[in-house]
Amino acid sequence: MNVRRIGIILACLLCLAAFNATAAHTQARLILSADTPKPGGTVWAGVELRMEPGWHTYWKNPGAAGMATKIEWQLPPGISAGPIEWPLPEKLPPAEVTTYGYDNEVVLLAPLKLADDLKPGLLKLKANVSWLECKDVCIPAGTNVQSTLNIGNETRPSADAALLRLWQTKIPQTNAPFSFRAWLEQPTAPDLRPLVIEGDQTPVLTKPPGRVDFFPDAANNFEVRAATDRVPIPAGFCLRKLVKKFSGNWPKEISGVMVMDDNGRRKGYAVHLLVADKMPVAATIPAAAPGSMTGSRPDLPLMLLYAFIGGLILNVMPCVLPVIALKILGFVSEARSEPRRVRNLGLLYALGVLVSFLALAGIVIGVKAAGHRAGWGMQFGSPIFIVCLTTLVTLVALNLFGVFQVTLGGRALNSAGELASRHGAPGAFFNGVLATALATPCTAPVLATAVGFALLQGNPAVVILIFLAVGVGLAAPYVALICNPVLLKFLPKPGAWMERFKIAMGFPMLATAVWLFNLAYDDYGKNVLWLGVFLVVVALAAWIFGEFVQRGRRHQSAAALAALIVLLGGYLFALERELDWRAPVVQTASSVSLKDSTDGINWQPWSPEAVAQARAAGHPVLVDFTADWCLTCQVNKKLALEAPSVAAKLKALDAVALVADYTHFPERITAELNLYHRAGVPLVLIYPRDAGTPPLVLPTVLTPGIVLTALARAAGPGPSASANPL
Amino acid sequence: MKKAVVLLSAMALAASTWAVEVGKPAPDFTGTDINGKTIHLSDYKDKIVVIESYNQDCPYCHNQYKTGAMQALQRDLRAKGVVWLLVDSVNPKNMSYRTPEQARKEMAAEKMDVTAWIDDSSGQIGRLYDMKTTPDMYVINQEGILVYHGAIDNKPDPFHNPRSADNYVRDAVNALLAGKPIQVSETKPYGCSVKYAD
Repeated sequence: MNVRRIGIILACLLCLAAFNATAAHTQARLILSADTPKPGGTVWAGVELRMEPGWHTYWKNPGAAGMATKIEWQLPPGISAGPIEWPLPEKLPPAEVTTYGYDNEVVLLAPLKLADDLKPGLLKLKANVSWLECKDVCIPAGTNVQSTLNIGNETRPSADAALLRLWQTKIPQTNAPFSFRAWLEQPTAPDLRPLVIEGDQTPVLTKPPGRVDFFPDAANNFEVRAATDRVPIPAGFCLRKLVKKFSGNWPKEISGVMVMDDNGRRKGYAVHLLVADKMPVAATIPAAAPGSMTGSRPDLPLMLLYAFIGGLILNVMPCVLPVIALKILGFVSEARSEPRRVRNLGLLYALGVLVSFLALAGIVIGVKAAGHRAGWGMQFGSPIFIVCLTTLVTLVALNLFGVFQVTLGGRALNSAGELASRHGAPGAFFNGVLATALATPCTAPVLATAVGFALLQGNPAVVILIFLAVGVGLAAPYVALICNPVLLKFLPKPGAWMERFKIAMGFPMLATAVWLFNLAYDDYGKNVLWLGVFLVVVALAAWIFGEFVQRGRRHQSAAALAALIVLLGGYLFALERELDWRAPVVQTASSVSLKDSTDGINWQPWSPEAVAQARAAGHPVLVDFTADWCLTCQVNKKLALEAPSVAAKLKALDAVALVADYTHFPERITAELNLYHRAGVPLVLIYPRDAGTPPLVLPTVLTPGIVLTALARAAGPGPSASANPL
Repeated sequence: MKKAVVLLSAMALAASTWAVEVGKPAPDFTGTDINGKTIHLSDYKDKIVVIESYNQDCPYCHNQYKTGAMQALQRDLRAKGVVWLLVDSVNPKNMSYRTPEQARKEMAAEKMDVTAWIDDSSGQIGRLYDMKTTPDMYVINQEGILVYHGAIDNKPDPFHNPRSADNYVRDAVNALLAGKPIQVSETKPYGCSVKYAD
């Protein structure tokens, strides 16, 4: 009874004693979790700041402007204060000068350690608090706050204990229940590098997935920018933020708070990131299949199946079709006469495909081992490769037209049958190689997923397996055909039509040559004329060779010499002297070619900054990752992205359309693609208007309907509507 | 309005491609000073140019001026032939906005010694230069290259004595004049946020 009364009286006294200070727009007060603690314990102290509506004060890292609130303790001997524990702040607008701070109110906490030998009695605690309060203007303010502790035998909570406990729950936890990786990407400017933070799971189970963000601690020689890009991945989270370096080396460690959204309740986890200097190869979460975003991780057998199906589909992609025509011809001509030979040749073709894919896998592993990023179809970024392939395809077309014989497909019609049969084996093998070389610019549906998975693997065996599975898929139809003689019966009978068919097949081959020629334009510009001249010279030499060496009766060696001289002369003059083909004009970053469009889509060059800027201005953003050599991309663009309905929708939504040109494999686009677990183009992303929502990843093959649906979702406000990727 | 948004985003995009970068040419701009004179950055070719993002109501700027440290720096550097452009990007709706008339008075009252006070209430120059805070400082060398960007000094505090701090702008300009390399070429600017127009 007595004790209780004294307690009440004391509490009242303490209420009066608590010094309430008023600054211009913020009130400060010192509160304690206990008013009669016993020695040796810890008492939580809180500095409560109450701001007038519209005014705010700042977090320990104020962000782009502002100042962290400071507390200077004046404590009696035997009491020591720990560092300030900062409740999770808010990101404060405007976007161009984002700051971290508190609206309305905040309680900054600090533990007060009481010495064991404190004598019972009243102790006065004081602190000088200074802060910057901002609304339309910023005002520095400060005040002295004080409170009293009555050291006793027993710790009793104060009236403010509940309030302090509430704010304690807002302090970021230190035991983040997830693991994460962080690395810096290639600089986008000398002092600017994107920081990627990837977490293996979102610990707070949220439906829809919570918005994850990272609030960095303040640092001296670098700054982590406030804008956050959320990259959708099947499980966990992936963020990208820009790091600006002011001086010294790039940071190896960055600390801060990971912020998760749990159905409207935000949670913070204090983390300390070890920042790798490049993407950790083995540590990347594998991709999931498009369209089956169940959240489960794809396993190797499934990826092998995707690779196989992708390889099968490659057979009917436009880049490969001419080679296929050759192959069919080969079957028809041989099927009846020598089914055994057909089987051998078919197997050789399959071997050619597999060896080529092995070689590709080897290159990919080598490139990755050298620390670069590998991409599907990356050889098409090399002008030398394009020149060689253009020449080769032209020769194949000439061969099909009958200008000369190398006995690739039309061997049976060759008068010198015996000779041809000796060439048959390498021919079939070569066909396989050619099919593979031409297949790479065509990313078939499904294939993108599997190859993306393979290219991000650290394990070379997986890369080899996946590539081989694609090869098996590409070769499978023939192997099936030759292993089953019954199927062979369905092939038409050989006859005079075959000669016509062969010549007819020369035209798609010629079309392929024209397409390749067009690619060379990017590297050589107007000088590409000399590649054309060279091709004509090659054709002339081929004709001389066919007409006077292969079919001629006299002076064959002289004719062969003439053909050689023509070829060599053409090479030295056109390619070496005029074109300087091995040293093409270097493409500078500024010459990003904006693909012209006729229907009013205002394509702008892509950059992470352009995306951030457009989103900050409240626009939905469509990004088309494309390349000149990517036929799927061109088809997507023509049929879906630039369909009048889509163009009209983009206009109506005030969306920003960005094009990322992957023709020459710029490193930063490779990095971006890898982030989405893609090994190559096409990739089309639509960023919703709501800048906090991650982008929608569109499927590989597009229709206007798919794009329109995605755009409609991107325009909508709710995160629930756009949380699930298509 | 929509047009304005499109224009703004186009500007934002343009700004992103032209983002200022230390070691790169400083982008040219055109502005009007409080006396109605048109100012181009390119008017000052072959000269060292200091650009200051300014708002007297911001305690960080105010601290530099009330102590007289900023004016002293302006006087010193201008005596050495340096051009000092003050950029005020506060939007007209903000209480810190100054009409040209008020600005002329403030300039006289504070005894400021600057080449020009540019009224950037549209925020065009501020955004082009990605000014985050007041103050935010830029030093451009005689070749038009941005050689320093960041804080005015090494004491991010609205109450310190600026004369006892290391002034990065003074150091950069003196290094340029002496033909020596600049020790600190980039720091994080501190201060109040620039009160840009929406």
